[in-house]
Amino acid sequence: MDEKTDVWQGTLALMVLRTLEMLGPQHGYGLARRIEQTSGDRLQLNYGTLYPALLKLEQEGFIRSHWGVSENNRRAKFYELTRAGQRQVKKAAAEWEETTAILARFLTPAEEA
Amino acid sequence: MRKLRALWMRFSSLLRQPRGDSDFEAELASHLAMHTDDGIRAGLTSQEARRQALIRLGGAEQTRQAYRERRGLPWLETLARDLVYSLRRLVHHPGLATIAVLSIGLGIGANATIFSMVSRFVLRPAPVGDPSTLLAIQRRGENALSWPLFHDLREQVKSFSGVAGYFPLVPASIGGRGEPERVFGQAVSANFFDVTELRMMRGCGFANSEENQPVVVLGAGLWHRRFHDDPAIVGKTVTLSGHMFTVVGVAPVGFHGIDQILEAEFWVPLGSADQLFPNLPKGPDRNQNWLFVSGRLRPGATRTQAAAELNALAERLARSYPNTDKDKPFVIVHTGLLPPDEQNGLLIFLTALSVVALLVLAIAGANIANLLFAQASGRQREMAVRLALGATHGRLQRQMLVESVLLGLGGGVLGVLLSLWATQALSAIQLPVPTPVDMRIGVDWRVLVFTFALSILSGLLLGVAPAWAAARPMLGSALKGEDALARPGRRWTLRNLLAVAQIAMSVILLSMTGLFLRSLETAASINIGFRPQDRLSMSIDPRLHSYTPEQTVAFLNQLRERVAALPGAVSAAWTDFPPLSIAGDAVTFHVGGPSSGKNDPLANLTRVTAGYFETMGIPRLAGRDFGGETASGAKTAIVNPAFVERVFAGENPIGRQVTGGGVTYQIIGVVANVKTTTLGEDLKPVLYRSLQQNVGADPNLLGYTLVVHIAGHPAAMKEAVRRQIHALDPSMAVFNEETMEEHVHSAFFLPRLAAMLFGVFGGMGLVLATVGLYGVMSYAVSRRTREIGIRMALGAQPGTVERLVLRQGLVLTLLAVALGWPAAWMLAKLAAGFLYGIHPHDALTFAVVPPLLAAIALVACWIPARRAASIEPMEALRTE
Repeated sequence: MDEKTDVWQGTLALMVLRTLEMLGPQHGYGLARRIEQTSGDRLQLNYGTLYPALLKLEQEGFIRSHWGVSENNRRAKFYELTRAGQRQVKKAAAEWEETTAILARFLTPAEEA
Repeated sequence: MRKLRALWMRFSSLLRQPRGDSDFEAELASHLAMHTDDGIRAGLTSQEARRQALIRLGGAEQTRQAYRERRGLPWLETLARDLVYSLRRLVHHPGLATIAVLSIGLGIGANATIFSMVSRFVLRPAPVGDPSTLLAIQRRGENALSWPLFHDLREQVKSFSGVAGYFPLVPASIGGRGEPERVFGQAVSANFFDVTELRMMRGCGFANSEENQPVVVLGAGLWHRRFHDDPAIVGKTVTLSGHMFTVVGVAPVGFHGIDQILEAEFWVPLGSADQLFPNLPKGPDRNQNWLFVSGRLRPGATRTQAAAELNALAERLARSYPNTDKDKPFVIVHTGLLPPDEQNGLLIFLTALSVVALLVLAIAGANIANLLFAQASGRQREMAVRLALGATHGRLQRQMLVESVLLGLGGGVLGVLLSLWATQALSAIQLPVPTPVDMRIGVDWRVLVFTFALSILSGLLLGVAPAWAAARPMLGSALKGEDALARPGRRWTLRNLLAVAQIAMSVILLSMTGLFLRSLETAASINIGFRPQDRLSMSIDPRLHSYTPEQTVAFLNQLRERVAALPGAVSAAWTDFPPLSIAGDAVTFHVGGPSSGKNDPLANLTRVTAGYFETMGIPRLAGRDFGGETASGAKTAIVNPAFVERVFAGENPIGRQVTGGGVTYQIIGVVANVKTTTLGEDLKPVLYRSLQQNVGADPNLLGYTLVVHIAGHPAAMKEAVRRQIHALDPSMAVFNEETMEEHVHSAFFLPRLAAMLFGVFGGMGLVLATVGLYGVMSYAVSRRTREIGIRMALGAQPGTVERLVLRQGLVLTLLAVALGWPAAWMLAKLAAGFLYGIHPHDALTFAVVPPLLAAIALVACWIPARRAASIEPMEALRTE
């Protein structure tokens, strides 16, 4: 059940955490829109996949949720980073940078040649 | 950590599913509402906005499913569903479930019982603080060490923080509540309780300054039995064999000394043990090995370091004392284990028993596998339908396995209950030894873990074949309602093979059972050499009550006269141990003066008084009885024919002299052979010497036994004899009170135990195999109903049909016997050491078992054959 979204979930989780770090408490819909905006609309999220990912993060203790009222007066569930989540953002971001840096070393010479 | 936390959250959310569902519904609704709002704001109609929102969500139902899977633990939920489903199925088939649980339970019970022996005698650590760093120090071939060597160890080996010594069996009589009682204790070095790190129940162990003080630590059992659990016992004095000892502590419940089998009940310092047990050789003699030694490893020191240091010490000693200490390397073993030799013997015995128990379980398992397989073929249509509806093979297999594991676990529970009963029954067996031993076994946590693992394993094995087959039905045949497990053209089905294996294993089991039953039968006809009927025996030890040798002789004589004068008593006499006791001394003997060489025969030494042979019914063959011996006079002796043969080479011994153990005896008579120690022994040379002559110089440290010949019921006389003892000395402790028949009965314990175990196992195996064969044949007949119907419609006679079925069953049986018989023949050799008076390839057993089994198999096949013969052709053709 996890396989189909595994690769995606790794990056999606980081995007969610990072977005929450920038934005503070936010509901699921807002998060999805914000992620798309941040990507310069180059990312078309399937919003449905966001909720299992949020649930996983919550089970792992990186975020917590509570019901609140949105800017347009709608009842919505807000997510926010926990302390463990803040540490996780830094850790995951560093790891991601490391990964992309390594990959870049592989890809750059190939372009030149 | 994070994974664990997530797992826990997922697990706990299983328990509050509905609330989580509605929560997520609300969240989805709010998401859609906000998205729709945005769409409307961008100029869409409300319907179009909602449509777009749903599209971008990617399907509400899929999202819900993904969310649910993430929230809970899907595999756990399916497992729970499988469990419930399997339980429901088993409840609907109570017959199958009962038979399966009973058979598996019997098999597992047998294994658990045998394993409880393994756990008790092999695996259980000594009941001391941190058993892993307490090591028994021995030398090759010698379990005990000498007094000077003990001191060498204490002073020179630095890997040990402490080295303690103990002498394992010190008898004493003890006062307190009720009649005086003889109990056994140990003489220990003052640091014994520090080295063993025992936490005392009351008080404390010995202080180092108390090495020579009259102080005692009581066992919890003794404290309870004789002192009412007196909470203020510490500081009081108790009387041990007439000497005052001050109680300093009470040992914890279950502590009987470091040895696992001897049952000691009190501990005194070695220095003050002389009052109870004179002659402990605490001198410089390096030849006297009597002290058992255990060392506690210093924190941080390893066993290897200790071994290296001991090796160095052994080399030093070999140089200093070449006569006594050459080639005697040290051996260290974990304290509480049996010495290596005995350990090996025990392991062989227990392995043999385990193999037998596993055989029983295998037969039972084959039976149930067969039943489940038959069941599986009855569920073909169900399986085919589920497959057709999209269930995966894996899912179906898992469900079948869950079912068989449930059966296995049910069997395990029953097995534990059975082994609780069986271990209790086995613990009640009396051993023919004059010292207290603790051979009790029980179901401990190791047995429970073993049983649990065995249940799961047998459950899985049971289910593998049916699960594999059931989840692969021939879909076409199954949906048509035909037998979908039968692959066309296959004659040797799995079920037939299982039946053959079962019968073959039963052949092995039954052969062993036959051997041990025959062994018991021949054991009963073994000539023990004396008449146990109408005899009574009872022991006392005047030495424990501070009697001098003269007082002891006077007491014994007086008591013998009083008892012999009782109405109903024919005669009475004293000995140290009656025949068939696992005790007593043996020394080497040679004729005349100095020893001729090293090949002197070994003979048992027994002390008796005049009239002993008449009282025991041992015939005199030549010469005279004892009479008129004095302690200072020339020593006289009576021997048995085995002694005459070995020592005198068959010549007339009367009037000649033999020397043994430094004493020269004049032979005055010859009496018939008896079995001195065990039923199975070859005839041993025995030298009987006058009890009165030896009480002073060589007292028996385990007391003396009065045997009384009684006309009538010996058990009824026990009370009268005991009254005579207490009339002479009310404080005299009486022990080993039994009729001679009871005594002989306990000597039969080994053949009886073997015959009982194998009788039970063999019987179980036979019943299970018979049921198994019956099941296979019934199934074969039910499958061939149509074929048989056609045959009969074409003119086959019922008799022909019957023979057809019988022949099939007989082929299976013969094949099984052909496989099992040689295996039994080979295994019988292993049993040779436990058999009495019969050859392991006993002709009768090996001739009777196969036809017996074939006959039983024939009956098992005959019932389905009859059914086949009574098939009505018309009905058979119509129903199918």
